[in-house]
Amino acid sequence: MEDPIIEVNNLKKTYAGALEPSLNGVSLKVKKGEVYGLLGPNGAGKTTLISILCGVVSPSAGSILYHNLPVTDNLQQLKQEIGVVPQDIALYPTLTARENLEFYGAMYGIHGEELRSVIRSWLDKFELSHAADRRIDKFSGGMKRRVNLIASIMHNPKLLFLDEPTVGVDVQSRTKIIEQLTELNKNGMTIIYTSHHLAEAEHFCDTIGIMDAGKIIANGAPAELIGQTADARDLEDVFLALTNRKLRD
Amino acid sequence: MKKFLAIIIKETRMLLRDKIGLSILFIMPLVLIVVMTVIQDAAFHSISEEGVPLLFVDNDQDSLGISIGNGLRKSPLCSFSDHINGKRATAETAKKAVSEGKFMIAVIVPENATKRIRASVEDLVGETMGVEAKENARAAADSVEIILYIDPVAKHSIVATVTSNLHEFIAAMKTKLMFETFSAQIGEIVPDGVSKPANAYEKTQIISYKQEYASKLEGGVIPNAVQHNVPAWTIFGIFFIVVSVVGNVMKEKKDGSAFRLHTMPTSYSQLITGKLVVYVTVCTLQFFAMMLVGVYFMPVLGLPSLDLGDSYSGLLFLGIATAFAATSFGILIGTVAQSEQQGAILGSLSVLLLSALGGIWVPTYVMPGVMRTISEFSPMSWSMDGFYKLLFRGEGFFSTFVPGLKLLAISCIFLLGASLFNRYKKRA
Repeated sequence: MEDPIIEVNNLKKTYAGALEPSLNGVSLKVKKGEVYGLLGPNGAGKTTLISILCGVVSPSAGSILYHNLPVTDNLQQLKQEIGVVPQDIALYPTLTARENLEFYGAMYGIHGEELRSVIRSWLDKFELSHAADRRIDKFSGGMKRRVNLIASIMHNPKLLFLDEPTVGVDVQSRTKIIEQLTELNKNGMTIIYTSHHLAEAEHFCDTIGIMDAGKIIANGAPAELIGQTADARDLEDVFLALTNRKLRD
Repeated sequence: MKKFLAIIIKETRMLLRDKIGLSILFIMPLVLIVVMTVIQDAAFHSISEEGVPLLFVDNDQDSLGISIGNGLRKSPLCSFSDHINGKRATAETAKKAVSEGKFMIAVIVPENATKRIRASVEDLVGETMGVEAKENARAAADSVEIILYIDPVAKHSIVATVTSNLHEFIAAMKTKLMFETFSAQIGEIVPDGVSKPANAYEKTQIISYKQEYASKLEGGVIPNAVQHNVPAWTIFGIFFIVVSVVGNVMKEKKDGSAFRLHTMPTSYSQLITGKLVVYVTVCTLQFFAMMLVGVYFMPVLGLPSLDLGDSYSGLLFLGIATAFAATSFGILIGTVAQSEQQGAILGSLSVLLLSALGGIWVPTYVMPGVMRTISEFSPMSWSMDGFYKLLFRGEGFFSTFVPGLKLLAISCIFLLGASLFNRYKKRA
């Protein structure tokens, strides 16, 4: 079996003052070049897991291996090789798209003509060249999402974390985003992706991990999970069967 | 270094884009120093130029009453009147007028006050020289009582200044009258051919006062509202950058930029230093603008020009050190606060508190003992101390070392606190 790019063992996290743990012993392996979908209801612990995997939050217990090495030993290398697309539009609204990308590109160590060229290329791929010098606060939701994505992939990361990258966007923008992500994955980029769009995840992901109450309760290829669940026609049926219909707040 | 430059460029662009925020950063402190200086100057002049409204009732109608009346008329501290609504004031109408706030002080000289003082002196001379004293003269003199009615609403410090001057003036008048009576009495009883005392009172005026401000500044320095208020409110204005810095840090936390930056191969110290450089530069520009207003704009309003002292390098060092302390404090508050609203309230209130403790509103020397001790821990107080050394005491660059280094040290402590809190949040 191919070595995992990232391996998580018995990861636990309880925030200060919280009564319940946000993560309660999560273990998973993500293979190089894979698209791994992390699905779960609100409060399942998906964002906490991604925050820990990308080094923003420290776990209470457990270990994370990146290329078989503990993350704590090579955090700087991890940060250089990953890209994170946050759930929020993490862009400066008063700056233009180009200025935002110039700044984030520089933070990844890309400078000068290389940076300008990379920005031009990505803006073109996402059909945003015409709006490059417009302020972000004048952009539509879909345009903001696309710039939000570019800011995390312009340094060509080996591992990309996507926290609900298509939330609140129209079908056209969503299609464009998924197309580009598929292209990136074809070129070798590993993707860990969370979403509430189960149909989108079913088509986009190679492996799905379903989380609830801080644990991975199911793991496998979408077709496998559907096959293992009685009367399930799609991933949504699997999801509801595993996480039940009780509302989550 | 390139990352650091990119952070500076980003922060500068964001500041320049926020035109309203930027103008508030510059215009509000300038308006503040002008308004506060003009108000405090006006308060000073209302006493020294227009004087405190004073009502005088002379029931004596003799030397003492006339002398006190003439003296009060000429006093710059008083706005003199002896009539109410066109009628000569009496003790009763004077008390009523003061109680209604029409006058701040009323002075009532009792009937026969001069005669009683004279009788007292005659008695004294008679006793000394062996001449028979007039009956009950001393008893009558002892009962001379000048009444002061004071408006209870009047500020204690103003009343104290005026009444103290009044007491001194009345005492001098009384002494003069006694000397005159004494001289006349002696003149009556000494035998012919013996020289009689002349101008005895004037001869007692042998003590004079020379008042000078103990400053090393060439040509001396004259303390005035501009010299006091411009540095004080400049410090306050610089510290108000806290609100802007807190807003900047909180916005990054709220919109997710801070989260994204934490996932990048960029250290927290690089991010913070970039902010620090930009905001310290803004504060330093604010500082220059406020000094220029003190020097060139205050005279346009009829106020004295700010005297910048002899050490421009000392001023610059203190201005930059104050800017560092203010910006670092903003970064700490922004890091600790959990919401934009919390940050804004915490930022502005803490600046107000530090300014009150630092002697911006009232000088630290008038504070009670405990507060004075606490005020020594306010960075604004250190900054004020440095500016006073330069602008009042005429000291040089080296005198700003202690306050300047204290400000830089507290900046490091604030930044360290922010960094430690950031680490704690990651683990929490």
